[in-house]
Amino acid sequence: MFRFIHTSDLHLGKRFGNFAGDLPSRLREARHAVLGRLAGHARAQGAAAVLLAGDTFDTETPAADVRRQALAEMAHHASIRWVLLPGNHDSLQAAQLWDALKGEAPQNVILAREAQPIPLAGDAVLLPAPCTARRPGRDLTEWMDGAATPEGALRIGLAHGAIRSFSEDAGASDVIAPDRARRAGLDYLALGDWHGAVEVDARTRYCGTPEPDRFKHERPGEALLVDIAGAGAPPAVTPLPTASFAWRTLDLHLFDGDDPAPAVAALLPEPRRRRQTLARVVATGRSRLAGRAALAAAIEAAAPDFAFLELDDSGLATECEVEDLDEIDRGGALREAADALAAEAGDDTLPAAEREIARAALGRLYSHARATTP
Amino acid sequence: MKIAALRLHNVKRFSGRGVAIEGIGDGVNVLCAANEFGKSTSFEALHALFFQPHSGTPGEVQRLRPYSGGNPLVEADIETPEGRFRITKQYYGGRSARVVDLADGRLVAQADEAESFIAGLIKGGTAGPAGLLWVRQGVTGIERRSRSEEDSEKQVRASLLESVQGEVEAVTGGRRMAEIMAATESELSELVTPTGRPKAGGRYALAIDERNRLAETEKRLGEAVLALRDALDRRASGLKRLAELDQAEDRQERRRAVEAAQAAFDAAKAQSEKLKTAEAELKLAHERRDAAGRELTAFRAALDTAETLRGRLREAGQKRDEALGRRRDTAGAIERARADADAAETAEREARDLLARLDAALRARAAAERLAGLKERLDAAEALRAAIEEAEAGLATERISAESVEALQALEIEIATLRAVAEAARPSVAVAYHGDAAVRVSMDGVALAGGEERGYDGQTELAVPGIATITLRSGRAAPGDSGLARAVEKRRALLTSMGVEDLAGARLRQVRAQQAEAELAAMRGRLSLLAPQGLAGLRREIAEQDALGAGGADKGDLPEDPAGAETALADAEARRNAARGALRAAEPLRTGADEAFVAAETALAALTAENAQIEAVLGPEAGRGARRQALAEALDGLDRALMQAQAQADGLRAGNVDLDSAAAALRRARSVEEAADKEIGALRETIAGLNAEIRTHSDEAVEEDWREAGEALSAARARVEAFEKEVAVLQRLAAALDSARGRARDLYLKPVMAELKPLLGLLFDDVSISFDDRTLLPQTIRRGGQEEDVERLSGGMREQLSVLTRLAFARLLARDGRPAPVILDDALVYSDDDRIEKMFDALHRQAMGQEGSQEAGQQIIVFSCRQRAFQRLGGNILHMTDWQP
Repeated sequence: MFRFIHTSDLHLGKRFGNFAGDLPSRLREARHAVLGRLAGHARAQGAAAVLLAGDTFDTETPAADVRRQALAEMAHHASIRWVLLPGNHDSLQAAQLWDALKGEAPQNVILAREAQPIPLAGDAVLLPAPCTARRPGRDLTEWMDGAATPEGALRIGLAHGAIRSFSEDAGASDVIAPDRARRAGLDYLALGDWHGAVEVDARTRYCGTPEPDRFKHERPGEALLVDIAGAGAPPAVTPLPTASFAWRTLDLHLFDGDDPAPAVAALLPEPRRRRQTLARVVATGRSRLAGRAALAAAIEAAAPDFAFLELDDSGLATECEVEDLDEIDRGGALREAADALAAEAGDDTLPAAEREIARAALGRLYSHARATTP
Repeated sequence: MKIAALRLHNVKRFSGRGVAIEGIGDGVNVLCAANEFGKSTSFEALHALFFQPHSGTPGEVQRLRPYSGGNPLVEADIETPEGRFRITKQYYGGRSARVVDLADGRLVAQADEAESFIAGLIKGGTAGPAGLLWVRQGVTGIERRSRSEEDSEKQVRASLLESVQGEVEAVTGGRRMAEIMAATESELSELVTPTGRPKAGGRYALAIDERNRLAETEKRLGEAVLALRDALDRRASGLKRLAELDQAEDRQERRRAVEAAQAAFDAAKAQSEKLKTAEAELKLAHERRDAAGRELTAFRAALDTAETLRGRLREAGQKRDEALGRRRDTAGAIERARADADAAETAEREARDLLARLDAALRARAAAERLAGLKERLDAAEALRAAIEEAEAGLATERISAESVEALQALEIEIATLRAVAEAARPSVAVAYHGDAAVRVSMDGVALAGGEERGYDGQTELAVPGIATITLRSGRAAPGDSGLARAVEKRRALLTSMGVEDLAGARLRQVRAQQAEAELAAMRGRLSLLAPQGLAGLRREIAEQDALGAGGADKGDLPEDPAGAETALADAEARRNAARGALRAAEPLRTGADEAFVAAETALAALTAENAQIEAVLGPEAGRGARRQALAEALDGLDRALMQAQAQADGLRAGNVDLDSAAAALRRARSVEEAADKEIGALRETIAGLNAEIRTHSDEAVEEDWREAGEALSAARARVEAFEKEVAVLQRLAAALDSARGRARDLYLKPVMAELKPLLGLLFDDVSISFDDRTLLPQTIRRGGQEEDVERLSGGMREQLSVLTRLAFARLLARDGRPAPVILDDALVYSDDDRIEKMFDALHRQAMGQEGSQEAGQQIIVFSCRQRAFQRLGGNILHMTDWQP
């Protein structure tokens, strides 16, 4: 019987340079704080170990404070064994990092730097497949097939990389055999690299990152509590919430005539959660000029509630009715200009970019015209 | 379109009541009334009817509403080519819009359809001007205007343009167009320069700068990250290589290989040295053995010769003894003289023997020295060299030519012969004493023995004591021995020249010289043997060997044993004396005995000379056996030494290792070790450098910086793209607006200007206004030959221009088959009467329609409070009447 927490891709020290203000600092801090939450779960669930399946650090040369503070946090939870596996972001090629870690790691932190069995608590034996390089170019888990363990021991594999071509880093010549757990007689294969949780089979899982760092995956950040009753027994896996920030992609489909403001309000999370939410509203469907302007206004109005909120309305088609054009002007050169832009926006023979420019210009004319209505 | 009647109810001051203006006809219609009579209200109501949808309540509609509230109702009868219609609109409560055909009272349209009908009346399509043309008091359009926009020169010109263009501006978008364009331009100008370049300091330019800066940063950091990764890779491979090289086992193996090669090389070198020495020793042994062999052979030959000589000497001695014996009887005295000479010879021979012995001793010592060690070799060589020099010096004095010796010998023989001859010829006295005679006769004071024969020359006195003195005279002159004297003199001279005292001395010298020469040659040979590379070479060798600690050999003198040799020589001399005595005794036998004597003596002398030579070679008799033994033993010893040396040399040769191979092996082993050490050193240095580099970079967290910069860069790029799109959108909008306005201008404004010009001429005979072709703004005004700034146009002129413009516009519309009424509301408040009259002319001219055209005349509706001035306008006078719908 062995119980542990399977997590990966903490990417400590990630800077989030694509955001502005103090958000990068908050996101960076949140990654560090995950360590404490993982330890809390481990204690609460009675898990003996936390297995970090690679990419614990975002870079091969994390700043000293990132490294040291992480180790200090792990050392603080002395009853928990932390196993750090080199991933593609912090591969063994980063000898400086791993040498520094070796020198600084407290007793309860195990650095899985070699493909050799590591005895864990009880009769559990860990078979790690550390990333030797950023792109090792081979299946590093292959050695597990022939790895000898004592009779009746729990065999737990720990690896980092893609099993299909859905690696976070494109170009997967070094794919892990999806049936490695079966081939190597593993009771559980803990995988990292994919930032969303995936159950490959009953004994093979990606845990996903405990603190999401992009809009790509819809699942909230979580770690896996794995409970194995004994050798050969199916593992019982329970997800544990770990994230402090939610990254949400919110789809908003509008029909012509819909009022976008209530739709947006219904879509957005409750106000208190917004501070810890990065959201992207992806608008699709059709909208009138006025609706479009209202949508932008609604998003703009809600934005201060959020850690980050943006509108992607590139998928939203603009319906332009005569009334809309009449609002600009019933005649004269303004109406002429509006008609020309509307025609251009709807002309399928033009490149999409040009149509979009014309559409945006018409929208702008609309808002200007409304502002100067006599 | 023409307006036939206007009715309104519940509008503004007409709360709860209505007024109507009926009977509006073609041409000029004038409604003259005092202010506050309701004409402006009528004007606004008419405008609202045509331009304000019934459903809305914008400001203009609100203004129509009386203060007490109510629902304004406006109605107008119109004539169009399609027929006569009544348009009715009610705002606010019961809002409605209706169009009724006046011909049959049929409801043509209501609500939005009615609006569309109205729009069709006033619009010649969206691009055309409104079907109604308006001029109002003090202002040129219906729109509001702010005070501030009158400020700038541009605004002055723009408003002037609007004053000129009036309703035309409605075609070109009017004020809204101008505002929107200004707003667009303003937004655009914040981002880009007029030429479309990002404006320095603007948000767009800043975003671009930020993006470029981030791109630069990202590139630089990317390079740093690549360099770091490269350094990591290089260090990893370096460490791997170092671990391979630096393994203790491999290191020891390399060390062992070097040591083994070194040992092999040292051994080979020592072997080679030893072999060289052994070969030198072998050569020396060969030479020494050969020399000893030669010496022994020579010694043996000399011994044999000595033996033969001894026999022959014996024979010669016997022969001479016999000759002497024959002569003894007659030559006793001579014999004694000769004995004296022989004794002298013996003395000399002693000296010679001594010399010979010393020579022998020297040779023995030299031989001993040769046997000594290397240091002694040098001493020997140096001594040899000294000896050679000395011997050479000695030889120079000792050397006598063989011819001289032969000549001496011949002289000696000749003298002996001559002496013998002389002796034989001398008179002699012999006394035979009686047995009892006591006296003894003395001859010239010298007692004569009985039987003794004593010769004399000339005369002699015999004294017989007690008896007499007897004088004997030979009676012949003293023998002419001049030949002998010459021979003796010659011999003396020869001896003097040779520096010897007699023939034996000469022979001895000759032998000595020969010996010395032989010795010298031997010494030279030995010297070259001892020091094949000269003394210096030998010294070097000695110096080399000195360290090895060669001891000096003691130099004990060989014990001398001169007695034997002296005895032997003394015996020989004695025999010779006897031979001489015999010879003298046999003198009376003269010729035969003398000849025999001479012959015997000659043979003996020859043999003696030869013997002396041999004796010189052989050395003292007593030492000969020992010497021969010593020589043989030395030869044996040298033979053994030679064999030993040969064996050693052979052994060494057989065991010799190729020194070059050993050296090459050593070099290779060393180079392997050195290369490894060098690589280890270089690797350590490289790794140390890389360590520093990596530490620096990793302390700087360059990769985090890089990723951050990359993310920021993509955000900045998106921002720049957004700006690019924004600029494109604004430019597109500006272009759309500009082209729409430009098209409107081209379509309407230019023709209007063409229409305006004759009207201007009608009104201002002393004023000409030039317009800018591109902007269509009034550019200059010439008045009375003076150019004036356009902004200095008077209010009167402005309003006149405003009216004329609308008239021109109306002409244009009429020409297009869409005649539109021109409505003036106190449009000429600033104009003086003179101008007003001219204006009236213009209005009437306009109202008449263009000459020669088929169109109906222009409908002009004038509202004015200037009743007196407008009385002269003429035209159809309108009146306001109460009206209830």
